[in-house]
Amino acid sequence: MSVVETGRPTTPQEDADWSTSQVVLTNLRAIGGRAYPRITGLMREKSWVFFEILLPLLATSAFVFVYRALQAPAQYIGFVVIGGAMVAFWLNVIWMMASQLWWEKSQGNLELYFAAPMSIMSVLFGMAVGGMVMSSSRAVVVLAVASVVYDVQFAVDQWALLLAVFFLTLAALYGLGMMLASLFVMWGREAFHLTQLLTEPIYFVSGLNFPVARLGILGSLALGTIPLAVGLDAMRQLAFATAAFPVGTPEPAVEALILVAMTIAFLGASRLMLATMERLARKEGRLSVRWQ
Amino acid sequence: MTTTGGLDAPAWGGFDPARAERDRSGRWPAFLTSVRLGWQVEANWTDPFLFFIYSVAKPLSATLILVVMIDIISGGGAGPYRAFVVVGTALWSIVLSGLSGLAWTILDDRERYRMLKYVYVSPSDFLMHLVGRSIARLAVGVMGAIITIIIGVLLLGVPISLEKVDVPLLLADIVGGLWVILAIGTVLGAVSLQTRQESWQYPEAMAGALFLISGAVFPLSVLPAPMQAVGLAGPLTWWIEGFRHAVFPGGPSGVGGPGSVWEGVTGTAAPDPAIIVGALLATGALVTLAAIGVFRVSERRAKERGLLDQTTGS
Repeated sequence: MSVVETGRPTTPQEDADWSTSQVVLTNLRAIGGRAYPRITGLMREKSWVFFEILLPLLATSAFVFVYRALQAPAQYIGFVVIGGAMVAFWLNVIWMMASQLWWEKSQGNLELYFAAPMSIMSVLFGMAVGGMVMSSSRAVVVLAVASVVYDVQFAVDQWALLLAVFFLTLAALYGLGMMLASLFVMWGREAFHLTQLLTEPIYFVSGLNFPVARLGILGSLALGTIPLAVGLDAMRQLAFATAAFPVGTPEPAVEALILVAMTIAFLGASRLMLATMERLARKEGRLSVRWQ
Repeated sequence: MTTTGGLDAPAWGGFDPARAERDRSGRWPAFLTSVRLGWQVEANWTDPFLFFIYSVAKPLSATLILVVMIDIISGGGAGPYRAFVVVGTALWSIVLSGLSGLAWTILDDRERYRMLKYVYVSPSDFLMHLVGRSIARLAVGVMGAIITIIIGVLLLGVPISLEKVDVPLLLADIVGGLWVILAIGTVLGAVSLQTRQESWQYPEAMAGALFLISGAVFPLSVLPAPMQAVGLAGPLTWWIEGFRHAVFPGGPSGVGGPGSVWEGVTGTAAPDPAIIVGALLATGALVTLAAIGVFRVSERRAKERGLLDQTTGS
């Protein structure tokens, strides 16, 4: 029998009463620990470079050639390039954030997360940090290579606002991912199918390859609900300040405020939904799958 | 005399060679069971109405993205090009679903259901089982494509006239095209046997790359000459060209046209049906042989390295 000598006898209640620094440090470790496999995974799976960086570059090129076939103004090619870069984050959010807890449930990890002494929000935040690093590599390559190959001429007047909009878009996107992850805890295979449904239909209503103002009311609805739509529109306005834009969308500063509101709303909702879904999942026995 | 303590082979020899051979008579029933299983996995997660919406939303949205792009630039004045794009995008939804079929079956069975090793050691042919499972996804893609074309005709001004359709060419083209898609899907299945579970997106990435060089939404003549040559070597290019040629005889060609490599080499504006079918068969046969070879190599490597029952995460 092994006994750990601690100097003074303690009760389980005293051991469970953590100081603030213990709580904070444990949650920070959880964030780092959950981000770690995604960042190191970049180096471990060599095929990822080919399939997740080089091939998407070709897919983006296809839309560039559609505009070339139509002899479109040069800035439209820039729109496609920015859309091609940002779609990396969207795909990461739906595949590796939204459906991740459902996936962890299938693999038998979810109950371990809930049993571990840290907030599940830290796990989600760690996934988001790792996912952002992972997706940034693809986004940077698509943006840099496509800009050079297709001679995209950016005209930026407000760099600070452009960077702010970019980071706010990421915050809102990953906040949405955390919210969907909470929702998907309760779901079965429909979560996987819904994930697939969040690709082309979202690309369309978000105006991935064209100014979203052209969609009228549908575009306005997207600007109010989908971070990808509002982020893309603001970044395009800021990156091509001299381009003639279809009217109908707010100024970039207003869109930045929309992104702030979305971030707060999504993070708050994800916290609330996670607690609710965890309670429901415990009650209905859905934290694990039967065969594990 | 040595004794084996009762462990001697029985009088009849103890080994029935017939039991070690694959029972080919059971191949088709096993294949049909795989198809049925695949369909249930794909379709029974929701009610038929939601399943219909799910099946149509992706291809229709992909089509609308391009239709809006065209209308923004042309102001609605690019009618023939719009029909070209609607048909190309609708067909591409079959490519997307067909390419993901085998790869996702492997990832599903290995990582989620953890059944791949049991399927592998069963008497069924492994590749036949995987192809059977992926047929369901292909069928979902076909359904999406048909509905997208119908919506294109009804709402987007695609001028398909049924009496002008070249039915023999269309049938030959459809059979050849579906075969080729399954062959390329087999290559991606071979890749998935080797990779981690993050490879869910690989089929879509591959389809995106092929989208560039297959003349799906713009004529190959827009591309630089070397890329046109690569496109001409791909069976999907000929499949899409054949379909367009069958439903819009005399319409815009994705392969030929002014300034194209095709025109430069052959001196003709566009390939005729016989050439299209011949090219589809030739390139399709090459891709099929390559796919079977790549799959067998991948299968052997997966067995050697114990990849058939690996589970991964990130």
